[in-house]
Amino acid sequence: MNEKKASSKYSSSTSPCSHLRDAYNNCFNRWYSEKFMKGHWDKQECVDEWQKYRACLSQHLDDKLLSRFLEAEQIDQRHLSTSSND
Amino acid sequence: MVTGYKQEYVYKHPWERVTSASWRKFADDENKRILSHILEVDMLNHNLDPSNGILRTTRAITVHCPGPWFVRKIVGQDMCQCVESTLVDAQNRSMQLISRNISLQKFIEVQEMTRYDPHPDNPAGWTLCRQETSIRIKPFSALASMAEKVEKRCAERFLQNSGKSKEVMERICKYLEAEATGLSL
Repeated sequence: MNEKKASSKYSSSTSPCSHLRDAYNNCFNRWYSEKFMKGHWDKQECVDEWQKYRACLSQHLDDKLLSRFLEAEQIDQRHLSTSSND
Repeated sequence: MVTGYKQEYVYKHPWERVTSASWRKFADDENKRILSHILEVDMLNHNLDPSNGILRTTRAITVHCPGPWFVRKIVGQDMCQCVESTLVDAQNRSMQLISRNISLQKFIEVQEMTRYDPHPDNPAGWTLCRQETSIRIKPFSALASMAEKVEKRCAERFLQNSGKSKEVMERICKYLEAEATGLSL
């Protein structure tokens, strides 16, 4: 039973958000290729899609896991900024 | 123990197209079949600096990583959570990614650093992808006695998957190219 619990937790933790995720990804990918890559970076788009998707994620992602993700993010993003300034 | 390797690959497509493909890699269904080790990818954060065109994102990636039976027995699961941090500098045409595992860290640490830059021989038309991977079994973990073996297996699996990943990237690039020329006709 433990095994089943563990696997469902890992394999489909955020799948309830998959529709919102698809909507956001479609919007993001279009924005990236058609605007951002063409020099139009004056404003962030897909805000509505992002907010809905994010609200769903925060409901379904384990808090502990999320805080570990964000911890890693802080370290790695700092690393990225230093190497880009080389 | 640390096992590491470097790879370089040239895409004969412009940087803008290749980095667009990189974002789409895990999205469509056909690719999902090929990249079946990637179970789930979620954007956790995205941040655009409108003053300089720098985009930073963080994604959570769940990977299926079945090891040999004796490793599975020790580790107790065959899923791994990874975090991927990305920086895209649109003005200077550079994309950097760092991915690493945040679960199973008491056994193993895997880090992959990837860069996409315009190719020096043809900056407008080609893209150079450079990737550095390091795999490290923790010295006092239950896997330490077989560290070398596990790292080697792990590295083989990674190389296999990065081959698949290139194949998918090439296909998306072709698709984006067709789309762009179709629109301009």
